[in-house]
Amino acid sequence: MNRIARLAVPLTALTLAAVGCSPAGTDAGSSGAGGKKEITFLTFETPNLDAAYWDAAIARAEAKVPGLKVKKLVAPSTDRTGYAKQLLASGQFPDVMISVSPVGFAESGQMAPWTDKELAQYTFPHSNPIGGKVYQLPYNTQPTPLVYYSKKLFAEADITAPPRTYQELLDDSAKLKSKGIDPFVVGGGGKDTFASSYLWTALVGTDVYKQTPDWMAQRRAGKVAFNDAGFKGATDKFVQLVKKGYVDKAGLSRDYANTEKAFLGGKGAMYPMGTWFATAGDKSAMKDDIGVFAFPTDDGSLSVPSYTGGGMSVSAKSKNLKEAKEFALAFQQDKANLDAVVKSDGAIIAMKGYTPPAGMGPVYDATVKVYDAAVQAKGVTNAFLVETGDDALLPGLVEKSYALAQDVIAGRKDADAATKALDEDWKKAATQ
Amino acid sequence: MSLVKERAGIRTDAPPRTPPGTRRGALPRLWHFLGFGAPGLLVYACFVLAPIALSVGYSFTNANQFVPRTRFVGLDNYTRLLTDQEFLTALKVTTILTLIVVIVPNVLGLAVAVLLDRRGWFYNALRGVFFVPVVLSSVVVSVVWQAMLTDDGLVNTALRAMGVHSPPGWLSDPDIALYSVGFIISWQMLGFCAVVYLAGLQSVPQELHEAAAIDGAGPWLRFRKVTWPMLAPALTINTVMLLITGFKAYDHIQVLTGGGPGTGTTATLAFSVIQTGFTANRTGEASAMALLMLVIVAVVSSVALRFLQRREVDF
Repeated sequence: MNRIARLAVPLTALTLAAVGCSPAGTDAGSSGAGGKKEITFLTFETPNLDAAYWDAAIARAEAKVPGLKVKKLVAPSTDRTGYAKQLLASGQFPDVMISVSPVGFAESGQMAPWTDKELAQYTFPHSNPIGGKVYQLPYNTQPTPLVYYSKKLFAEADITAPPRTYQELLDDSAKLKSKGIDPFVVGGGGKDTFASSYLWTALVGTDVYKQTPDWMAQRRAGKVAFNDAGFKGATDKFVQLVKKGYVDKAGLSRDYANTEKAFLGGKGAMYPMGTWFATAGDKSAMKDDIGVFAFPTDDGSLSVPSYTGGGMSVSAKSKNLKEAKEFALAFQQDKANLDAVVKSDGAIIAMKGYTPPAGMGPVYDATVKVYDAAVQAKGVTNAFLVETGDDALLPGLVEKSYALAQDVIAGRKDADAATKALDEDWKKAATQ
Repeated sequence: MSLVKERAGIRTDAPPRTPPGTRRGALPRLWHFLGFGAPGLLVYACFVLAPIALSVGYSFTNANQFVPRTRFVGLDNYTRLLTDQEFLTALKVTTILTLIVVIVPNVLGLAVAVLLDRRGWFYNALRGVFFVPVVLSSVVVSVVWQAMLTDDGLVNTALRAMGVHSPPGWLSDPDIALYSVGFIISWQMLGFCAVVYLAGLQSVPQELHEAAAIDGAGPWLRFRKVTWPMLAPALTINTVMLLITGFKAYDHIQVLTGGGPGTGTTATLAFSVIQTGFTANRTGEASAMALLMLVIVAVVSSVALRFLQRREVDF
């Protein structure tokens, strides 16, 4: 027995050292089955971008990079950036990832920048730079939010056209309310806290970023504060919408999927949401009943908060960096993939020469029309809480802002308290 | 003496047996124990002790996974946390949640156990039914309850059908959400408590009940004077397990409320640790939070254990 025991100790140690204690995840440098190089690719699933979409898209891009095998990773929630941080901390940072905010990863040398040559195909190649370099392929523009509305419910409240000014929006909301119709459907429940913040994003777009496009850069430089009159005024409009009873507080219990379902189920007349909703709208029974407009400004000029980016980033430390980049570019430039993401997620592709597939639904077509009009009118602004790179909030503040938006919707904070809290959080994040 | 051994057939030239604990037998015995203990010890060292040691180290630094230069900051993280309103609120939220999670399943679990302490297939089946939530994943349980407790969910739809015009926002009302989460965790742990109490009930010697009955004790007095003291070990197990469950609550919070609605409503210590470490990237501060949490759980559990064990009696 003693001999067995003497053998067992070193064998166990060796086995654990070799297997149990080695870095988990895919060894990016190793060859997979059949001598292929293997890379990991972090994705996320939503009702629109389901597992079948990712599997098919990966297979198409994989086929364009001979000798490569791609292992799909799926973030457990829509917070793929948070998940990427966990993977980094545990030594499993993926080789390629999509829609992960590069802030922090880029500055610390974890992500590889894209070269001008690699970005040549993109309409806005230098979107969301970090220290002047682009770390995320800017393939997709997402106006966030536009306001989707039910034409039927508008008609029931005798509203004949969508509002063009903020006052008209207030008047229309009052009419809807008087007919017993909730004006705005919002979300924010469970893990999807982001869905509570889009009215705030819209109002900061119309009342702050439109006048001062580099407002967040000024905030980073300490020249402005959230509690200043302009930002506080935009926040107060949000507070007043809640106080007037135009925002359905029950939304705070709904996750993203249930929020979408609530709007499509007629729980309210207006739904401030990113343009990815267009696809779900087109798939719904009420697709011909859904209209869309840009959140109104005081003077009626167009203002559409938008974000261009959302694409692939590549780990600077990938042992197969060349192949990882090839895969990422192949994935993003594959017409079939782009068509698929347009059909499944209502993407507005920001690539030169790209035309959306024929036969897109009426909600998507209306969405693109509003965005194109904003581009023509030079009314595109950054989207508060969505922007990344040098224009983004400091790490951790986006999530704090979601909680503050929930406080506003729940009636627990007024504009002064919410903006002061945001300034406090900023101070804390900046000093630690 | 030697003659006696020879007559008894005992070899006198055989080496004497090494008494246990003497130096000569210690080394082989050590190898022996290491042989069996090494796999478990190594796993424990790799996945429990090493991370705790690393966390202790990080907690004295300003570690940030995106800032390569890490600086020693002494006790700064700890002193800041002890005056940080957000941390203190998370501590308060965790305490309230833990109280709910300790009290509700203990009380209801005991009641269920008393009701199920019968013979027959029906009661056996019911025991299984009550235990099902315990073996389900917390995420699954949370998803199911979230679907039922949203404004358009089963519960409020039923309440509206019964004429309640403004049913509560179980997960959307900041004043109610924490209690809803506490109820859901309690619901999941109820079966565990019931089974532990049931085992305790079934180990109470029948003769004690009979003796008490002969002495004129009624059912309530027998429960109070015989059954309840004999259930002390079960109460200890349940309370300590529930304390730990309450203090480390994270997954239910993440799925049901995401730490909201709003600030300081359902964000527990465990939830705040994850947010601070992986969202705000402040690994050093998150490590200090985690260690404070570890100390709080250890102290509370030890005090509870000591207090409850004093109640335990042997017959």
